[in-house]
Amino acid sequence: MIDRFIIETDKLRKDYGGVEALRGLNLQVPAGSICGFLGRNGAGKTTAIKVLLGMARPTSGQARVFGLAADRPEASVEIRRRTGFVSDDKDLYDYMTVEGMIRFTAAFFPRWRADLEERYRRQFPLPADRKVKALSHGMRTKLALLLALCRGAELLVLDEPTSGLDPAMTEQVLQALVAHVASEEMTVFFSSHQIAEVDQIADHVAIIDRGRTLVAGALDDLRENFRRIQLVFDGEAPQPRFQAPGVERVRREGRVLTVLSSAGVDPILKEARELNPVSVDVVPVTLREIFLESVRVED
Amino acid sequence: MLWYKSWMETRWRFLIGLAMLTCSACVVVFLYPQMAKLIPLASTLEAKGVLGREIREAGELARDYRGYVWGQWYRQNLPQLGTLFAALLGTGGLLSESSGRGMLFTLSLPASRKRLLGFRAAVGLAEFLVLAFVPSLFIPLLSPAVGETYGLGNVLIHSACQSIAGAVFFSLAFLLSTMFHDLWRPLLITLSLAAALALFEQVFRILSPYNIFRVMSAEVYFRTGQLPWLGLLTCAVASAAMLYGATISIARHDF
Repeated sequence: MIDRFIIETDKLRKDYGGVEALRGLNLQVPAGSICGFLGRNGAGKTTAIKVLLGMARPTSGQARVFGLAADRPEASVEIRRRTGFVSDDKDLYDYMTVEGMIRFTAAFFPRWRADLEERYRRQFPLPADRKVKALSHGMRTKLALLLALCRGAELLVLDEPTSGLDPAMTEQVLQALVAHVASEEMTVFFSSHQIAEVDQIADHVAIIDRGRTLVAGALDDLRENFRRIQLVFDGEAPQPRFQAPGVERVRREGRVLTVLSSAGVDPILKEARELNPVSVDVVPVTLREIFLESVRVED
Repeated sequence: MLWYKSWMETRWRFLIGLAMLTCSACVVVFLYPQMAKLIPLASTLEAKGVLGREIREAGELARDYRGYVWGQWYRQNLPQLGTLFAALLGTGGLLSESSGRGMLFTLSLPASRKRLLGFRAAVGLAEFLVLAFVPSLFIPLLSPAVGETYGLGNVLIHSACQSIAGAVFFSLAFLLSTMFHDLWRPLLITLSLAAALALFEQVFRILSPYNIFRVMSAEVYFRTGQLPWLGLLTCAVASAAMLYGATISIARHDF
């Protein structure tokens, strides 16, 4: 495995009492990237994150973070020392105050960034003496984010960081995240089922479904390579079997045949023209379309 | 800071226990003059069975202040309340935190599960130690108020036995808390086992010289001046084994 990947999994499997949460997940998150981890509810995103942080042990396969085996207890402690984490539930201690929670967390991280703490305390005005249980969901998210960002971490792992937030708060959190990554050298790995926010801030993406990676790569490459080819025929569209590589999906609806391509369009267009369509259109696809088409193929 | 987290999680159970046990110790001292007046009546009662035996024995013990304190406090109130609070202090921890209440945050800290558990056990045992010793110290302190004295040495030995034997219930609740996600099952199982052992001790007294409650009350020490070494050692080994079992159990757990 190569060091330029901060996170790497290889054929990662995880069973929970006969239920397969991960079924051979392959992931590669390059250093310095903001990688969106997309998948439907129950796709295995949270399980993958738990395995990466040593909260759950893999059934088989490998998971490495910073080149360290995530299933080894000592290595796992080291991984968590270098990682900031925000869970889906914004897990914090209800009985502590905001100030207590910050001091408690800071004590575990020798590289705690007091300068960032000050900055985010100004940016996210949090009542220092209020108990965590009395915080609104938005404030709780901001506190969880502050605790993750100030750790001096090299990697940020965020599980649905904006879940339950209103659009304004979502925007504020995403902007804070982007600004943080711009000023600090770090890698961000964040799971979401909100395609728009992944599209907004990620430069890499991994789409998973039912515990397996469907699509992964740099977002620009995906946008460049994925194309929708729309063929319109005089009568009923034919049911061709394309031989060209990169055909992800073919959909036939009346006179229209739609082909989703992931690896260049020329060989497909050559085959398509032999079918004598009335018109041929090649259009770029959005991340949303890539995601929906990918998981639809799985169905 | 893990000690702080453990303290925050258990402080109310501990403080309530401390208040209850301290009140109980004070009541034991201040009831002595009234009890002393009832001693002559105890021998005239004709109650039979376990109850009669208990009344006669309590009467016999109350003939002197040391016996009264041992019978009421070290054999009765302290083991009963001590067992309850040992079980209460032992329950909780990582599994009962559950998702959304801090479990994943705890697991994301750069601390091994062994360390997380070690701090939780250390704080819980320290609190239990305080519960075993501090309320008992009120007995020699308050005894002059009822015209009696009670040796500090007795307090230290009885409280040490109480804490070592009582730690078994703490450790059992602690072990069970690494197996169940709720607070109630570890508590109920531990208290049910304690109740069964207490019942066994009452019904089969001759058969139970090493019953845990006898080790807790240091009955051998009270009657003969000898420490119950074997019982204490057995309890210490059982506690250590259960605490070790807890670390194995939590290390294997998938969250």
